[in-house]
Parts: sequence; structure tokens; C-alpha cells
Amino acid sequence: MTLTRRHLLGTAGALAGAAALGTSAEAQQRLNVGVVLIGPVGDFGWSHMHDQGRRRMAEVLGDRVNATTVESVAPPDFDRVVTQLVRTGHRLIFTTSFSYFAPTQRLAPQHPQVFFENATGPTTLPNMAIYNARFYEGRYIQGVIAARKSRSKTIGYVATFPVPEVIHAINTVMRGAWSVDPSMRVRVVWVNAWSNPAREADAARALIDQGCDVLCSHTDGPAPLQLAEQRGIFGFGQASDMTRFAPRAHLTSSVNNWGDYYAERARAVIDGTWRPTDTWGGLGSGMFRMAPWTNMTPEEVSEAERIRDAIASGRLHPFDGPITRQDGTVVIPQGGRLTDDQIRAMNYFYQGIDATIPS
Amino acid sequence: MTLLEAILLTVITASTPLLIAAIGELVVEKSGVLNLGVEGMMIMGAACGIVAAIATGSGAAGVLAAVLAGMAMAALFAALTLGLAANQVAAGLALTIFGIGLSGVVGAAHVGAQREGIGKLEIPLLSDIPFLGPVLFGQDPFVYASFALTAGVAWFLTRTKAGLILRACGESAASAHALGYPVLRIRFLAILFGGACAGLAGAYLSLVLTPFWTSGMTAGRGWIALAIVVFASWLPWRAALGAYLFGGITILQLHAQGAGFRVPPQLMSALPYLITIVVLVAIMRLRRGGTAGPANLGTPFVPDR
Repeated sequence: MTLTRRHLLGTAGALAGAAALGTSAEAQQRLNVGVVLIGPVGDFGWSHMHDQGRRRMAEVLGDRVNATTVESVAPPDFDRVVTQLVRTGHRLIFTTSFSYFAPTQRLAPQHPQVFFENATGPTTLPNMAIYNARFYEGRYIQGVIAARKSRSKTIGYVATFPVPEVIHAINTVMRGAWSVDPSMRVRVVWVNAWSNPAREADAARALIDQGCDVLCSHTDGPAPLQLAEQRGIFGFGQASDMTRFAPRAHLTSSVNNWGDYYAERARAVIDGTWRPTDTWGGLGSGMFRMAPWTNMTPEEVSEAERIRDAIASGRLHPFDGPITRQDGTVVIPQGGRLTDDQIRAMNYFYQGIDATIPS
Repeated sequence: MTLLEAILLTVITASTPLLIAAIGELVVEKSGVLNLGVEGMMIMGAACGIVAAIATGSGAAGVLAAVLAGMAMAALFAALTLGLAANQVAAGLALTIFGIGLSGVVGAAHVGAQREGIGKLEIPLLSDIPFLGPVLFGQDPFVYASFALTAGVAWFLTRTKAGLILRACGESAASAHALGYPVLRIRFLAILFGGACAGLAGAYLSLVLTPFWTSGMTAGRGWIALAIVVFASWLPWRAALGAYLFGGITILQLHAQGAGFRVPPQLMSALPYLITIVVLVAIMRLRRGGTAGPANLGTPFVPDR
């Protein structure tokens, strides 16, 4: 439906890129960096934070880089936008969605002189790196806080699509909650969208009506959190600090920070040290942080901070065994730990979660 | 509050925007015009509604702006389809695409900005009745408006001369023209009414249900409204039934998931459309061919001089 707009924006972005290239001869020395976004810069979530990262990179590297953002690029338009970026001299291109993984993988070999970086993709190529953050670490902390805050002992989870990233997030929330109170339960509603505010709100209403009194959400916007505010219960923010959407309900947000990574990668290209790395940064890496703590008692804050520090320093790992599937099969016994590939492929709920994963 | 009561309240809020938009489109189609741009008009209403409400600090001003935005979009559609006798399907689709894009521009400065939602209008005494009170008489003004609209349109179409003339334009524009009725003017007014309703439905989304702006927030509700008109075989009260059926399915599947029942959400999301197809087939079978739709639906009319 938004094809026309995306065409317009895509063209505008490409023009901006062309203009940036043509303006000055000293741009020869500058590195041109492209950032391709799946949503609008103004989504107040995922894409917004990638654009903030682009800004931060430009701040850190000053006139050593020129950065171009192209927003709301639908996967069918991706090839054209990227080809245009390459043609206008961009040598480092960040493709910031899992939906771009396959197309990036296809285009990268055609442009061996360009360095590609795909967010949340699973594999690398000689000129294609991948990067993501271990958001599940924040989910564990959310679970702990939720268990402290909940009176009904029931967490509501507004889930998007049944992909491993969402499934392991739900598992980890419950891991955190059970560490405080093993009787905690979760109710899960899949809304089949990254952004459909009215349906997210309806899902939140349904969960609250069924007795959930702390809401976790995996969608891009603040709608579930707003509902929590309206109904006088608690909730968490996603991607950016969402305190202002729910001053009385907001507990903490997982705030993404891609800027330092982008700056580091651009510097590596300039210095000639770029390698096709696989980065999966946790709380210790600064790729995201939990902030701020609101509507929590000082004891709750200090507990949350203690757990955050334990995870960041590696003393606590959310995927340590024993891990048992819903159906009772043991995935990994006490003393073991899931590998990154196992976490990335997780397609089952833990025992104790009585929700279902749609096939 | 019991769970049943809570579910009913949620079903009402989910169904109201569908009903308002569907009633508007029903009148448009009864006049013989197929406007597929409901989604575009609705989202423009949502964007202009919240922007005006934030700018003026008044919910009423937001609603007014939303209605006017829907009408402006509808006027554009009318200029194309009535003025230039352009293809209605193409013009309607263009209106949707245009509306989604333009609303993104209108709302761009207000992404993430939020305001207090429009509150409930509790009818004194009646809203104190246990169970029925909060469900029937403790709603926001849009809910009452949706039923007033349905009743008004049902009365207008079947009980008034003006309604009869409007229907005549939809059944046989040439005959209505021959009788001396200004077919294009009547269709123009019907299209404006449809735009106003779609804008109002959009305002309900951005001012009441989720009081903030995000691009694409109507998320296909305009298309469901179109399906409801067909489902209702162009009868206003049946449109209300359809809107509540579709709204009810949406909410019940969310509750079913929360309660841990095994329902594939993808199937539930498709259910409104499947039901529409089933109803269409049933109608065709019962009538032994022919549709319940206005005979001249979608046919441009160019008066000869």
C-alpha cells in the first residue's frame, strides 16, 4: 500500500546521496556511509534508533564521513536503493533489518569493493558483516522486575511473530520471573504485526482483562504501554525510552544504541582494518541499556541493577541449563549452556509456559 | 467487572470504527459509486485528527478536523470519478495509496506525541445499572454516534423521499436523470458523507483507541469496512451486525490466545474475509444469481445534454 511513498522516499534518499557526492571534491577523502531503514525514521522505535546511531557516528567521526539514510525501504525496493547507494560512492552500507538479510547476501558478491553490514542476520560473507544486540539480557531483567511488581502473578506478553528472537525473549522473561517466584505465569497474544497500534491495544486489553498486571511487548510502538497506563498496571518500553508515554506505568525500557558500533565500523573501513565480523553485543557492550528505572522502589532498583551487572559481567547467563522444553524433553542439563546458534534457532517454549507457538 | 463485561466493552471499541466507516461507504455505494479509498480517507482522518487535537488542545477540534480531512479526500475522489468520469476502482485505489502517503507527511512532526484520549460519556442513572449499565450507557461519544448513524441512515434510505432518490441514482442513474434528478450532485453528497464517516472512524483510532500518531495505524481497517458493506448486502442494520461480528472475532481470538487455546492467529486474521466470501456465496445461492448490490454500482454516469 505504501509503495508510492516508499518510491518517493527512496528516490529522495538516493538524490540526497548523489548530492552529497557531487558537492565537493574533498569528499574524495570522506567515507560515504549508507543506512537503509525498514521503517520511518519517526517510528519512535527500531528505525528511529538506527538513525540516531547514524547521527552519533557522524558526530564521532566528524568530516571523515558522509552519511545517507534511506527510510521506509520495502524489501522489493531494496535492490534498487542499495544499487543507487553503491553507484553514488557509498562504501559502507548498513542494512538494518532481518528482512534485508537475504537480499544483502545476494547483492554483496556483486559489489566486492563495498562493505555491507546486516543487522540481526545469521551468517557473514567476505564483504558482509552481521551485528545484533543480546536483547534477551534485558528481557531477563524485565522478568525479575515483573515478578516483584505483579500481584496476580501473571505477566501479559504482546508478541509479534513466532520467530526465534521473540520466542527466546518470552522464555527469558519467564526465566527471570521464576528466579524470583516459581509460581509466575505468562499469557501470550500474537498480533502478527510489528506495528498495528489498535490491535496491539486490543491485545493488551484482552491480557489485562484476563488478569495480567505487568505487560511486556515486542511490537515497535508504545500502544501496549499506553494501555497499561490507562488501566493502572505496569509495562516496559521497547527500543527507546518510552517513559513519557506512561509516566505512572513505565518500569524500564530497553534502549538501543548503535552509534558507537557504527562509528567503530566506519573507522575500520577508513583505516583498512574492516573484517566480516559477527557481533552480538550484550549489556556489557553498550549496544543497549536498561533505562531509566521508574515507578520502582529503591530495593527493586538495586536488585535490578545487581542482576544487570551480573549479566553484563558474565556471572549470570540467561541460557544456562537446565533447560526443558514445554513437552518435557531436556534441551540442556544442569551445568550446560546454550550456544549462540542454539539461541538463534530457538523454536520452543520452556516447560512451565502454557502458551502456544503458532506454526 | 466480570470478564464477560470486559470482553463486551472491548468488542464495542474494536467494532465502532468499522461500523462508522462501513455505514459511510454503504451510503456511497447505494448512490452507485464504489469508493475503494476508505482506508486512505480513514488514515487521513486519523492523522489530521490527532494533529489538530494537539495543536488546539481540544478533542472536538480534532474530530472536526478528521471529518473535514475525510471529506477533502472524498472531494478529490469525486472530482476524478464524477467530474472526469474516471474509473472508480482505479481512483479509489489511488486514493488509498495517496492517503497513506500523505498522512505520513501530515503526521511526521507528531510521531510519538500523545494526548489524553477522549473520555467516556456516562449517561446518568442508566450507567449505574449493573452489567448492562457500563456496557450500554458508559461508552465514549463515538459509540453512541455509530448507532445514531446506523439508525439515521436506515431511516433515511428506506423512509424518506431523498433516500429513495439516492437509491434510484444507484439502481439506474439514467432513469433518475431522465426524471430530472441531479445524479452527479446527489452522488457527490453521498461521497462527501462517506468521506466524513471514514474521517470520523480514523479520529476514533487516533483520539480514543490509541491516542497517538504512527504511520499506517489504520492497518487495513478501511478494507474490512468495505468487506462489511458487501457482507451486509447493503443493509445498515446488517452492517452493524457485520461490524460487531468482525470486531467480536478479533477480540475473541486475542482472548483465546491469552487463555492458551490453540488457535492459529493467521487463520483468525483471515476469518472476516472468509466469512464475507461465504456470505456472498450464500446470497448468490439464495437469490439464484444476481447480487444484492445497487445495479449501477461502479458505473460512471455522464449526463447527456
